[in-house]
Amino acid sequence: MLALQILIDGFAISALYGLGAIGFTLIFGVSGVLNLSHGGIMVIAAIAAWAIAGDLHAGTYIGSAAGVLIGLIAALVTYGLVVRPIQRSRAIPRDETEIFVLTGTLLWGIMIQEAVAYFFTDNPVTVVPLISGVATIGGVRVPYNEIMIAAICWSVIGLLWLLVNRTRAGRALLAASINPRGLTLLGFELSSIYLLVWTIYGVLAGLAGVLLATFLGAGSANIGQLTASAFSIVVLGGLGSVSGSLLAAYVVGYLETLTAYLVAPTLRTIPSLLLLVIVVYLRPQGLLGRR
Amino acid sequence: MSQRFLAGAPFAALLGLAAGTALVAPAWAADPEPIRIGVIAENQAIGGVAITNAAHLAADELNAKGGVGGRKIEIIEYDDHSSSADAVRAFQRAVNQDHVAAVIASYISEVVLALEPWAARLKTPLITPGAASNEISRAVHDDYARNKYTFHGYLTSSFLAQAVCDFSHDILVGKLHMTSTVVMSEDAAWTTPLDDTSLQCLPEAGLKVLDHIRFSPDTTDFTPLFNQIEAKHPDVITTGISHVGVQPTVQWASQQVPIPMAGISSQATTTSFWRDTNGAAQGVLVDENAAPDVAVTPKTIPFATAYAKRFGITPGYAGYSAADDVNIIAEAVQRAGSTDADKLVEELEKTDYVGTYGKVAFYGRNDQYTHALKYGPGYITTLVVQWQDGKQVTLWPENIANGKLTFPSFIKLPQPHAAQ
Amino acid sequence: MAAVRRWRPWALVVLLVLLAVLPWGVSAYIVGVLTVAYYFAVYAMSWDLLFGFAGEVNFGPTFLIGLGAYAASLLDIHRWPVPLCVLVGAAAAVVGGAALAVPALRLRGPYFGLVTLVAVLVLQQVIVIFAGITGGEIGLSVPDVLAVDANPNYWYALAFMVASGGILVTLSRSPVGLILQASGQDATETAALGFNVAKHKVAAFCVSAFFSGLSGAMVVFYEGTVSVGSVIDLALGVQVIIAAVLGGRRTIYGAALGAIFLILANELLRPLGQLNTFVVAAVALIVILFFPNGFMGILGRAGERS
Repeated sequence: MLALQILIDGFAISALYGLGAIGFTLIFGVSGVLNLSHGGIMVIAAIAAWAIAGDLHAGTYIGSAAGVLIGLIAALVTYGLVVRPIQRSRAIPRDETEIFVLTGTLLWGIMIQEAVAYFFTDNPVTVVPLISGVATIGGVRVPYNEIMIAAICWSVIGLLWLLVNRTRAGRALLAASINPRGLTLLGFELSSIYLLVWTIYGVLAGLAGVLLATFLGAGSANIGQLTASAFSIVVLGGLGSVSGSLLAAYVVGYLETLTAYLVAPTLRTIPSLLLLVIVVYLRPQGLLGRR
Repeated sequence: MSQRFLAGAPFAALLGLAAGTALVAPAWAADPEPIRIGVIAENQAIGGVAITNAAHLAADELNAKGGVGGRKIEIIEYDDHSSSADAVRAFQRAVNQDHVAAVIASYISEVVLALEPWAARLKTPLITPGAASNEISRAVHDDYARNKYTFHGYLTSSFLAQAVCDFSHDILVGKLHMTSTVVMSEDAAWTTPLDDTSLQCLPEAGLKVLDHIRFSPDTTDFTPLFNQIEAKHPDVITTGISHVGVQPTVQWASQQVPIPMAGISSQATTTSFWRDTNGAAQGVLVDENAAPDVAVTPKTIPFATAYAKRFGITPGYAGYSAADDVNIIAEAVQRAGSTDADKLVEELEKTDYVGTYGKVAFYGRNDQYTHALKYGPGYITTLVVQWQDGKQVTLWPENIANGKLTFPSFIKLPQPHAAQ
Repeated sequence: MAAVRRWRPWALVVLLVLLAVLPWGVSAYIVGVLTVAYYFAVYAMSWDLLFGFAGEVNFGPTFLIGLGAYAASLLDIHRWPVPLCVLVGAAAAVVGGAALAVPALRLRGPYFGLVTLVAVLVLQQVIVIFAGITGGEIGLSVPDVLAVDANPNYWYALAFMVASGGILVTLSRSPVGLILQASGQDATETAALGFNVAKHKVAAFCVSAFFSGLSGAMVVFYEGTVSVGSVIDLALGVQVIIAAVLGGRRTIYGAALGAIFLILANELLRPLGQLNTFVVAAVALIVILFFPNGFMGILGRAGERS
């Protein structure tokens, strides 16, 4: 029974980690950008869903949809206002774009955190789940919402796979992550590919934020932690590798759940942090990454 | 012009500006000088903003009555972004630049403990309306000559635990026939003495402690905790939470954990908790120093009503104490006839003030908790409320109760016959 | 340019004298704020040595600062003399930092960054878990302070910043600094020229760790307390990085300037209450977007024009 419980609890939380991390790794794969305002974008989506569903009395369905949309807008604003100007700046040497993107998105993340705290306090908020109630699976009580989160995450991941592998735009995206220069030779505009990948990212981050708010709750105080955990999962899986990120999300999710159940809830994050350091030392390209 | 010399220019300019503002001394022509009180708090946090709001409200009320001894009260507020380093700089500004008579600061123990040596160094009285760590008053007790400037204007953790035990004895054991509990606390300094006391007094109250779980305040997924607790089959969960609150409550409800939660849950003390949890708080029992609709003293309801009218939510737990702190500082200044720190400390020690949630007085130099609030009948006691349909209904002590216990349908209460 | 070179040392001396006599001209509050700013400047200068000259993005300056601060506090509680506490604190930062970073330095880019980030998270957890020794998240009070009055504290901090800055600037302009800079830009070519890149990077890291740890330890004896929030929190590390980039990378001076600016700007904007951090972050973002070389870049350009 304990084993089943760990299996079920770990599954939902891992699916959510995976959804949050995929967009993050896609952007890195295609444009080499590590977006350190990631947690901020997730929390904007969560807070928007909560405010629209509750304060504006729009109900949880409209609120959740609006939250995802606002997450998308926040991602596009991040790209247009912070990342793109840095990538295009003539004053920044090419080989230093990375540190400028890191610093720029960090500052942007701080601005988001302060603004959210100013308008909505730093208390976490929660969104009413789309389906309430609990199911009993093999003696383990499982909220329907948890099952739904896992289902939504995996459907979205499936859709993403179809998009990348079965459409022309998706294949261009895939090609861009392997060889951006070759792609421009083929007549693709890199900037439209960047816009596409940021749009996908925005939807994924927004969805992850809203689902997080229905499941665990989210607030401005979680922003740093959310960014750090996406960053860790993505590096563990191999930067730029989508399947690697998914695998890593499950490794981290289950390792945390196992620790919380079998060792002590206080030590929850320690084993996955140590694992990360070990993997980075022994296999810097991550679990499924290519050098 | 030299390239390097210019390097100094922008911050020399900043310095000039800062120095300039320092020199602009306020000109008090006719009115007697106001009593200035610094308020350092975390305005982004529910617990912190209650301090700032309540201090302004209390000062405005005093000023509307003509101030204290003809002197107006002036509140100067500082935001510390929940950072102790930021709070220390704010304290320096309050004392050295804004020349406040005393400072009311923070609900976070870490921040108050970082300010305590500065209160000693800059010889300025400091009162915290919300931090709970026993370390605050211990430092005053251990080195009175140095740390006497600090006052602990909120109940220490040990007293909070005692209050929860008293409630458990009267209601949980007495009325609901409960026999066992699991203590669940966030792993923080303020809960160490809290848990020490509860582990001792809960069995005395009639609840066997089946397990004691401490978890990291960074925890976001509480599922494993609730499952671990449920496996022990306790009748109730005794909570000790402050940094977290919304998340465990929502997950408790969405997972339909069939065990009631009762104890300390600081975030649950204000009305916005219902909104933040989307009503998941239904049935949660919380120990509070005051409830907005219970006349603990004649001042409780007028204060809570005025607060809710002005700020849209009920005061968080630190709001009541912050309002009282403004009053006791003002009265101490009046009695001392000056804002001299040592005289002020002497007068604050003599505090005997009926405030918004009880009679405020501090323990003396030779007591175990020097300068902490006196706890017990006749002084400060607490009450227990239950969240019911968006409202906090008072259930204990029974003489002021204004409602009946009720739990969500997923809660399974012990059957009196089965228990026997 | 020749005139500029001749003026430079004099201008620096005048500036230092001005800073040294400043406490007699401004309020104790400004003196206190600058004291903190100077220690913070040392954090940023140490970070710039590692990033600007060795090209390594260290997300964990607070790992080093925290090691120094906690080692010094724990020894002080056992009544070791303060100078010894501070030195052992710096040594702890070097040892802890080296143990962690030496294997990580062969990794490039985000991997080194991630290891240093994780180091901060782990240290934070360790402090909270071993609350019995470390005091947990509320921290520790130390029995000793450098001085009770504001002015001596200010002079200690100023002298410390000037000495550290002097050493770091000298080091960055020495042949070692040039090798580091070359390896930061093209490690393969530098190695091909016969320089041991790894050895130089480890050396740069140790120097950076030494000054970060030293400054962390000094801060403890200024503040009188130490806590996770004040010396280890990621937010502080982020501030250090922002200060260095804002001031101008690869300049050392710039890092100090950026650090002092950040602290002062936050204080000057205090009347904005909660929003001051937002405004400071926005200003820093604008500077970085439009003037990638930071304050030193802006000043350099202004200097050339005049």
